[in-house]
Amino acid sequence: MIMEAASRPSPEEMAFGEALSELEAIVASLEGGQLELEESLARYERGVALLRALQAKLADAQQKVTTLIGELETESADDA
Amino acid sequence: MDRERAVSVSEAMAAAKRALEKITLTVVGEVSEFSDKPGYRAAYFTVADRDASMSCLMWRDAYLASGVTLRCGMLVEMTGQFSAYAPKGRMQFVVRRLALAGEGKLRLQVAETARRLEAEGLLRDDRKRSLPEYPMRIGVVTSPRGKAVHDVIRTLARRYPVAEVLVAGVTVEGTDAVPAILEGLTAVAQARADVVLLVRGGGSYEDLMPFNDERLARAIAASPVPVVSGIGHEPDTTITDFVADVRASTPTAAAEASTPAVSELAGRLEKLSRLLGRALEHRVRNAEHRVRLLSTRPLFCEPDTLLGQAGQAVDNAARALGRAIPVGLARDAARLSYAEEGLMRAGPRIVERPADAIARLAGRLNDLSPLAILGRGYAVCFAADGSTVVRSVSEVSVGEVVEVRVHDGRLGCIVERIEEGR
Repeated sequence: MIMEAASRPSPEEMAFGEALSELEAIVASLEGGQLELEESLARYERGVALLRALQAKLADAQQKVTTLIGELETESADDA
Repeated sequence: MDRERAVSVSEAMAAAKRALEKITLTVVGEVSEFSDKPGYRAAYFTVADRDASMSCLMWRDAYLASGVTLRCGMLVEMTGQFSAYAPKGRMQFVVRRLALAGEGKLRLQVAETARRLEAEGLLRDDRKRSLPEYPMRIGVVTSPRGKAVHDVIRTLARRYPVAEVLVAGVTVEGTDAVPAILEGLTAVAQARADVVLLVRGGGSYEDLMPFNDERLARAIAASPVPVVSGIGHEPDTTITDFVADVRASTPTAAAEASTPAVSELAGRLEKLSRLLGRALEHRVRNAEHRVRLLSTRPLFCEPDTLLGQAGQAVDNAARALGRAIPVGLARDAARLSYAEEGLMRAGPRIVERPADAIARLAGRLNDLSPLAILGRGYAVCFAADGSTVVRSVSEVSVGEVVEVRVHDGRLGCIVERIEEGR
């Protein structure tokens, strides 16, 4: 949900799913049309920031693979 | 010895039978022929491998007690003794104990486990969890060797590189597999995976047996993280598949089932971007409309009217004040000079006036004199004393002397009669 401005993490620091959920909540609240104009503008700005961060994440995403147990063998032709 | 002595066929077969019946064996083979006619006292079947075959019989009571329903192609494990059937000169294997062997045996065990788990409700769809829409950490429990793990990593990288992949590379075959897989599940859950992919590549039914293990099934059901299974190839089904929250047919399919595609995500973000813009535009337009409605009110479109009346009054007062000061002074001056003139003119009149007034007052005094009235023909009757005015008939008596005064003198009179009334 929408938190107070002060406690909101920056979109860049947020997990993809979290940022996306917040963006969706913002769109829904704006579509509701019940907000004050100032609040609408504030949420719009936040939404744009989230959107930019999400798009950047998608564009720049590099798969990170962490091995918890065992050691990954490089891919070979033979099937297991 | 009488090695040269010939024996009868019967004797020969009896000797063979005695020799064969000393051999007790447990044999595994595939059923290639089977006949079980209701009238027969025994079930007759042939068990074979690639290079040899043997005729078998099992007495009806023992066969029914085994619980196995024989079918061609079935792998069986049987314990019994060879014997010889003299009338046909045939060797046969008399089965005392019969059980499914190998895969057949495994399938039976698996079916048994599945029945038990199902009875407990562990396989019910309504206890299965839905997967997170946007997992941030995807656990993968599988063999660190072979194609499966790379298929998964490649698919995740292509579809959803946003997530981190946590790999627990564990043994997935043999007796160590189940504890290793359980350890792997625990490790990814502790690493706070949002979803776990439990996968392995294709293999024989026996190879997949760890995924039919009851302990593993219970661990999956109790897992704090939703589990997606992807075991073997398309037709392979294990208990893991039944108990997993989502069943995928292969490791690649499991990776796909657990992630949104980046292309879909990009489309979704684009849509959200449009909705965001449109929602704000709508909100602003709404505000604009309300402002415009208000702005058409006279109050706002002619702001002067708000202060108009008061302003005008102030203006008027200011104007009046501006005029009032000099005009007032002039008026006062004029009045003063007029008064002065009046005063100058009034001076002589003030002196004239008493003489006139006295004359006028004297005239009025004269008019009011009773004597003047007498001049107009009236008379006054006085009593004999000459000073008391007779006003009533009751004041005099007949014969009394009265004095009647007229305009120019007095008359001495005697009252001769008295009449009342006007």
